[in-house]
Amino acid sequence: MEPGKRRTKDDTWKADDLRKHLWAAQSSGPKEEKKHRDRKPLRESEADLADGKEHRPGDPDREAKHRERAAERDGHAAREHPRGDRQRERRKDRDRPKERHRELDAEKPHVRGKERERDQEHRARREELRQAAAHRNLLARDRDQDRDGDRPERRRAGSKARIEEREQRDEDSERGDEDRERRYRERKLQYGDSKDNPLKYWLYREEGERRHRKQKEPDREKKHREKSGTRERREKSSKEKGSSFCGKEGEERHRERRHKEGVHAGEERPRGHAERKERSRREEHRRREAKDGEHRHRGASLRRDGPGSQHVENSVRSDGKDRDSRRKEIEKEDVDLENVGTDEYTAIFEDDFEDYEDDFEVCDGADDCGADEPREGEAAEELPPARRREIQEIQKAILAENQRVGELSSKLPEKHGCPERAGGPGPEANSSASKTPLCGIFMDFATASHRQKNRTQTLKQKTRSAKLLRLIDMDFSFTFSLLDLPPVKEYDMYIRNFGKKNTKQAYIQCNEDSVDRDIQTEEVETREVWTQHPGEGAAVSGGSEQGGPGDSAIVPKVDTPRLSSFLRAACQVMAVLLEEDRAVAEPGWVSQAQDCTLPFSDSCARLDTSLPFLQDRRVSCLHACQAQRRTLVSVHGLPGKALVPLLDHRHVLCVWDIRQPSGPQKVLVCESKVTCCCFSPVKAFLLFAGTVHGSVVVWDLREDPRIHLRVTLSGCSWTFRTPTFSTDGVLMSVNHRSPLQAIEPITGSVCKRQSCVLSPFSTQEETAGLSFHIASLDESGLLNVWVVVELQKADAAGSISDLGLIPGGRIKLVHSTSIQLSDSLSHKGYESWGSVQTLSVKFLPSDPNHFVVGTDVGLVSHGSRRDLRASPRLFRPQQQGPRPVKVTVIDFSPFAEPVFLAGCSDGSIRLHRLTAERPLLQWDHSTCGRAVTSLQWSLTRPAVFLVQDDTSCVYVWDLLESDLGPVARQPICPDRLLAMTVVGEAEKTRGGFLALVLARASGSVDVQYLRREWATPASDELQRLRLLLREGP
Amino acid sequence: MSVAASFPKHTSFSMRASFAPADGLPETENKAGEPENTYILRPIFQQRFRPSVVKDCIHAVLKEELANAEYSPEEMPQLTKRLSENIKDKLKEMGFDRYKMVVQVVIGEQRGEGVFMSARCFWDADTDNCTHDVFMNDSLFCVVAAFGCFYY
Repeated sequence: MEPGKRRTKDDTWKADDLRKHLWAAQSSGPKEEKKHRDRKPLRESEADLADGKEHRPGDPDREAKHRERAAERDGHAAREHPRGDRQRERRKDRDRPKERHRELDAEKPHVRGKERERDQEHRARREELRQAAAHRNLLARDRDQDRDGDRPERRRAGSKARIEEREQRDEDSERGDEDRERRYRERKLQYGDSKDNPLKYWLYREEGERRHRKQKEPDREKKHREKSGTRERREKSSKEKGSSFCGKEGEERHRERRHKEGVHAGEERPRGHAERKERSRREEHRRREAKDGEHRHRGASLRRDGPGSQHVENSVRSDGKDRDSRRKEIEKEDVDLENVGTDEYTAIFEDDFEDYEDDFEVCDGADDCGADEPREGEAAEELPPARRREIQEIQKAILAENQRVGELSSKLPEKHGCPERAGGPGPEANSSASKTPLCGIFMDFATASHRQKNRTQTLKQKTRSAKLLRLIDMDFSFTFSLLDLPPVKEYDMYIRNFGKKNTKQAYIQCNEDSVDRDIQTEEVETREVWTQHPGEGAAVSGGSEQGGPGDSAIVPKVDTPRLSSFLRAACQVMAVLLEEDRAVAEPGWVSQAQDCTLPFSDSCARLDTSLPFLQDRRVSCLHACQAQRRTLVSVHGLPGKALVPLLDHRHVLCVWDIRQPSGPQKVLVCESKVTCCCFSPVKAFLLFAGTVHGSVVVWDLREDPRIHLRVTLSGCSWTFRTPTFSTDGVLMSVNHRSPLQAIEPITGSVCKRQSCVLSPFSTQEETAGLSFHIASLDESGLLNVWVVVELQKADAAGSISDLGLIPGGRIKLVHSTSIQLSDSLSHKGYESWGSVQTLSVKFLPSDPNHFVVGTDVGLVSHGSRRDLRASPRLFRPQQQGPRPVKVTVIDFSPFAEPVFLAGCSDGSIRLHRLTAERPLLQWDHSTCGRAVTSLQWSLTRPAVFLVQDDTSCVYVWDLLESDLGPVARQPICPDRLLAMTVVGEAEKTRGGFLALVLARASGSVDVQYLRREWATPASDELQRLRLLLREGP
Repeated sequence: MSVAASFPKHTSFSMRASFAPADGLPETENKAGEPENTYILRPIFQQRFRPSVVKDCIHAVLKEELANAEYSPEEMPQLTKRLSENIKDKLKEMGFDRYKMVVQVVIGEQRGEGVFMSARCFWDADTDNCTHDVFMNDSLFCVVAAFGCFYY
């Protein structure tokens, strides 16, 4: 063990502190590690090899020696151990703290220096001892004595202990300086000899102590026996290569030499301390320096020893501190008693003794013991009695401690050591078997070896780590959170455990598939527009403004004219049906009508003239339409009292349908008094009228009612139509200047006998219907022929050229020709009568170019529009000569017979044939001289005609029944008859009727349906009439 | 709570430790004539300790072993030991060369108490790593932490 050397060489290693730590943690000695570290690997391996050999019991080289020694050892062990172990341990324990330092510092070189000598000595001694071995064996039974002999040794040990204690005390006091000193010493050692006495003293003393201690370390000795000794031998053998044979001898030689030296040293003891010290010191030093290299080599082997002993020391060391404190107390006592001299002496003694013992240490155990004993005895005797006591006391205390320690240590090794012990071969097994009570201490070896191994490994690992740590950076990782489980709340816990009790999931229905989508954008409005460039015509652009697919459906595929015609017809039919129903349903009304039924009629209907605008107006004229046989017009005069301010000064005309007596179809107004009127020949949509002012007015019944005056009277709105065209103020040159007497339509021959009644509107008919002229005749004999012109387009703003035209009207009259009838009449020889008044005019139904005019001289003039001479120029009455008789009424037979009736103011009725000047028949007194005001052929029967006189009497004539006078005469009273007309229809076989419309003075208008005998013609009536007419004249 | 851990003795867990000798631990005994240690300071890249792989491994083991486990205080110590050894063996098979594996298994009962576990290591962050996985069911929770320390 050469800590000092180590330190001198390796200052970087702070051995003490580190070692302390390491020892504290683990019993393995760092010294060894250090050694290992410092040693070169080669040496390590060598040592290992040596170790391995050593441990192997069967080493052929050694067998012999071993056997010899084993015998010695056995004997020695058997004798010595019981005694020595404890004691030595005790001492060892005490020394330990110091020892560490000593071992580290100075001892090693010295010891080593001596080792060689010792070897020699030992070898010499061994031989002696070998001889003595037998003797010793014999003396084995003297163990008791030996034990007794222990006492002096113990005393000596006690004294030694005391000395050591003192030293320790010194050390204690100087411990603080130790480091410093050590460093100093090291320097000293490095730099050679020194004059520093105190230091030398310390060093020396330490050396001595070391030696002394070594002597007291039986463990180590044991080890030496086992390992070191053999190892040394082996070392030697390995060193002295090839000299294995002479190895023993060499060893012995060495030992002898050493022994001699030791003896020599012992002799020198009495000399001056300083001197001796110095000398020994120098010697040591010299030796050390000289053998430095060797030391190293040897150190290896010795160091190898070190751990073993140190193990033992360490195992007890735990108690060391306690003991230290105790020791200090004891030391204090010692200080009083001891003087320096003793100290010195003991020190010297000890020194020598130790020297001696050192030899033993290295020697085989067997030799040690023999050598030791006498010295111990000596040492004990040399001590003074007072001290002896103290020592004994101390020894007792130490013994007690050691026992305690032994107990402790025996426990520990038992654990580790047992298996080793069991398997442990070789001498140890034997010794352990023989020394059971001390096995704890034995176990220390096993433990030690085990620990040693551990230590070796640890050391290597440490080396590794030390080297590696330079290359590696270790750092603390951040903290990994492995699990963070938050505490569960009480409620959650409850719910988890019990929340599901008594519950059961039945169903879940979630409307997952019904996804609701929402669009926020508004519908885009689209419209199709087109345009064209360059524009063609007016339509440049356009589009479906009203847009929408419904348009096509709405597009009316309606034949508008047909629809309107249908509607109109239907409307009429419906109205008629309703009227009839009403007539049937209202017995009062019917009965009232029945009341007024005349004897010659079957039934009667009354037109409702009680309308507000017709009240108190007298009917001046009635006219039946020839085209539409049920249509008639009534002309109402001015009212007697004002009722409707707007209409009071106007004359009113009403167009009636006799099937709808409840109200007029159209209401017309005229500014002047209407004297005569007529409908358009084919269709009854135009009404012509002549006024007293000589004007001709036209109403277009088709006109839109909106352009006319509209008046609401007693809940009903009525349209009062003003004339579409009037000749008033226009055409002054040709216009009439006298009141109009008659107005007649002149139909073309083609259109003659038209009977389209209910279908007035067709394009062809319209155009055909318009192909007619109007002839108007005034009193002065002026016959004007007018052309009816329909304008293509109505002008709502009024016409500039056509002044008589109402704004928006389409019908106008254009003057065609004027015929002055008075001229032709005047040179007929009637000049004496002045101017002849013309009263009526009629055109031949078969030939519109011919017309007959009634005059106020009893003659009927026959004229033609084309200035052709009509064959009888005049139709004269049967009476010759001019007579002041007005021919008031002329009527052609509607049945294509070229005959006409003329009624005169003197009450005579003449029946003329167109071809004859004189009448066929003439009835002068049928009316009793009363003037004939109205005369009309029946429309259904060719032989019947109706006559009215001015006394409100109606006469019915039937020529087939009687050609002498009327077949019936019916005065109308008390309500006087003002005007009369005949309506009837013959063509219809079933619907034929003949009605007499009577306008009364009261204002009422009756429709008297004549009895069937007058209404329904006989099958051959026309033939019979012709026959009658042929026969007549 | 039962705890078992596989880790080297020097770690400062105060729990049952099942020491896992390092895989491919080099023989430290130096034999004569043997060349000096080749101090490998870094693992081969493919053999690095990969936490994700290890985690998967742990997860698989836990899932298999603890699928229907119920906490019972008597069985847990054995279970933890078994688990830790099991996982450790599995990890060794995965060929993390020169890695020393430490597997720590903690099984505790789920009683609503809060638990916080954490680990801190003093190591070479370049080579060493760790991962952990937690398994929980109604009656217990199990935390497994695996540390891989590179053996230089």
